[in-house]
Amino acid sequence: MSVVNYGTREITCKIVYYGPGRSGKTTNLQHVYSQLPEERKGKMVSLATETDRTLFFDFLPLDLGTISGFATRFQLYTVPGQVYYAATRKLVLQGVDGVVFVADSQSRQLAENIESLQDLHANLADEGLDPRTIPLVMQYNKRDLPPAEISAIEELDETLNFRGVPYFSASAVSGGGVFETLRSIASMVLSRLSAPATNDS
Amino acid sequence: MAADSKKGAEDDGGEFADFMADISEEIALRVESLEPPPKPKPEARKPTPVAQDAGLILEWENVVDRLIEDIR
Repeated sequence: MSVVNYGTREITCKIVYYGPGRSGKTTNLQHVYSQLPEERKGKMVSLATETDRTLFFDFLPLDLGTISGFATRFQLYTVPGQVYYAATRKLVLQGVDGVVFVADSQSRQLAENIESLQDLHANLADEGLDPRTIPLVMQYNKRDLPPAEISAIEELDETLNFRGVPYFSASAVSGGGVFETLRSIASMVLSRLSAPATNDS
Repeated sequence: MAADSKKGAEDDGGEFADFMADISEEIALRVESLEPPPKPKPEARKPTPVAQDAGLILEWENVVDRLIEDIR
């Protein structure tokens, strides 16, 4: 859970990029990483197979420095999209504060998007998190593909975004929509910041 | 409070700078609106209740003297 720790003066938030395989989750993180100024670039951990598929997860620590006297850190994760890495997805979701669902806009990928969204809901519920209230942003990626190959935004939104959460069209490969999405989920997570329930601070 | 962090953000470049500026503002608003968790106040000590018969023994010295006399 995201927490303002007044004792150590720290704010830490965990954001997970979720979605079907090859929807562009890792590409989102790679674009964020590419835009970081050198002095803020930590290590982006990416465990990929020989064919560049995410095997375990990607992890990008975003150290935003001291803001209003608080050391602020965002931890960005991706999950492996392929269906057989279900256990890993559950693991990565532990302690999540906000989710970006990266949907593949290609018409032929609609079923995979729906399946992944259902998987997300099931895993959140398993973690004791309410899929109806956790901060969530939809990103409809690959808008740069030819129009004949992709579904209309309205169609995607009607099919996938039943919560009516903010959504963004994106072309993560060129960076379009990546920071807009991140800004939106960060804002939603921050709006739920709370002080820890401990009495030691 | 947000001003410091905004200045820091302006030093960075590109999309990340814009992101930082927005987030800094958001965080500043949040931490200012959130009061630190209140420390539990120690309960005020209740004064020792005065016994109903308090004041009957007003002069301890006399009592002690009498006790000593009795013992003798």
